[in-house]
Amino acid sequence: MKRLRFDRWTGQLPLTRAGSALGSTSMPRPGVSVATISPRCTAVRYQSTLQNTSVWQGNPTTLESDGPYEQYKLYEEDDGTDHERFPPLEELPEKATTLPSPPPERALQSAKLAALHARLSLPERLPLQTLARALVDASADEDARFNNTNLAFVGQSLIHYHVAEWLMCRYPRLPMDIMYAAMRGYAGPATLHQVARSWGIEHAAAPGGEVDPGLLQFSQQRVGDSITAFGYRRTESKAVQKLRWRHGLSSRVVFDDDFGDMIDVEDSRAELMARANTEWGNEYTRALAERAFANCTRAITGALYAHAGREAAASFIKAHILSRTLNMTYLFAFKKPTRELSLLCAREEFEPPVARLLSETGRASRTPVFVVGIFSGKDKLGEGQAANLNSARHQAAMNALKSWYLYSPGEDTRLPSEMLTEGAKPWEPAYIDIGEIISR
Amino acid sequence: MTIRALQQVSVGRNGVGSFVLQCKKLDFHYCDFGGSSKGMNGFIKSLLPAFVTANPQVEFSVSPRPSRHPVIIAQYINGREKSVCVRNMQPYEILKKATLLRDSNGEKNKRTVKPVRSINESVRGVWSPYHGNGLRV
Repeated sequence: MKRLRFDRWTGQLPLTRAGSALGSTSMPRPGVSVATISPRCTAVRYQSTLQNTSVWQGNPTTLESDGPYEQYKLYEEDDGTDHERFPPLEELPEKATTLPSPPPERALQSAKLAALHARLSLPERLPLQTLARALVDASADEDARFNNTNLAFVGQSLIHYHVAEWLMCRYPRLPMDIMYAAMRGYAGPATLHQVARSWGIEHAAAPGGEVDPGLLQFSQQRVGDSITAFGYRRTESKAVQKLRWRHGLSSRVVFDDDFGDMIDVEDSRAELMARANTEWGNEYTRALAERAFANCTRAITGALYAHAGREAAASFIKAHILSRTLNMTYLFAFKKPTRELSLLCAREEFEPPVARLLSETGRASRTPVFVVGIFSGKDKLGEGQAANLNSARHQAAMNALKSWYLYSPGEDTRLPSEMLTEGAKPWEPAYIDIGEIISR
Repeated sequence: MTIRALQQVSVGRNGVGSFVLQCKKLDFHYCDFGGSSKGMNGFIKSLLPAFVTANPQVEFSVSPRPSRHPVIIAQYINGREKSVCVRNMQPYEILKKATLLRDSNGEKNKRTVKPVRSINESVRGVWSPYHGNGLRV
């Protein structure tokens, strides 16, 4: 059987040479004491990355004996590896393995990070160090100077602002419930998680100072202290969760976060933490991963804002978040559509709605089809088809209501934030609707 | 309370709004001794530097794989991997293979029957037998 040569393998984790660890039985090389070998040897990483190979950068092959290649002396065992041809590619700073996240200066040496920067077409003004920081979740490194909490909060505010503004101008008649659902559909954690995945961001198995800075780092055991929601803590939150107390929309607008959810309460965090710590591969650990990926998307947006300014961040959000597709008609679920439609007609002073059968086929058969239209005077408000008359009428009322609620002034509606650019045309007021038909 | 909201997650389409190259990483493996690696060694020396500079979105790595045929392995954002054995190929042939891997989206090769695939609603609508004047038989 062939001998496996781990030293020739490539990988993300640092591998130590045989006999380099403290307390190993092999003889150290004469002239090099064990104490000097071990800490640095453990810190040298073997990874074949192009930027650093000498083949490729055309580095001079003449080596000075005590120059940059002095470190090769540290390999005690001569196993025939030609260290001039296969140099260790990255030397970790001292104590890197004890740090919770990679030191910022290592960001410049990561090929993954540079590739991510180019893949997202980020401007050069956004340095790799900041991008590396955006990839460190609060659960990996608690120190707010090194994790992405601050950037994520800025990014989150920007994303929510742009999405909310766009929804308000594009669909001015959305009921608040649907508005929350649409907000979550575009900017919720599940969506931002998908966005980060679609950028090709990978995560490290476990966070640490020796990990490649181009990998997303979060802990699968801990919940980080990142702020991902802005709202007020309700005194009655426990009762709302356990006893299902009613919390109406008006109070949700005031107290809760941008998706109309109660902000994280201690209990749910504690439960998340306890269960993620003891179980594996369940909804809790998945929730932690989703949180970390979503925070990373927010942090990259926030970093872009910090370094390249408002316009760059706005076009980034437009390109990566608002360009996604969400079919708004799928967000509606009606309970009593006919009642709501007649109230709408009364409010708008239309004639009361009347359902009329437009066409039908196979009434006596197993599969009948009825097409029903809802008319207000001579205007047809909506049309629906179903296998029985009542369902068809309901369907028609739902379609009429959806076409009312999904009124849009057009695809290229101007947004208030566009006024911030220099030389913008004078603002024409956007359409504001008087509100929902029946609010709760 | 008559309206309730159902939750949906928006769908991203690469190329609408922004384009993200789907090839994440390219590994080039070569052998110093084997004759089948001759072209690969030439490629690494002469053509690879320019190819790398032209493609900053992709992470590159070059590593020896002694006593094996040379191979290019590509990793994609969708988690799949594609590899091409480039034994006995000339440098420019290898460049073509590398470009092919870079431009691929990582999905399995499929036979495309319809020229356009879209999640947008049809502009024309779906034909209905219950509307219009109908067809007299």
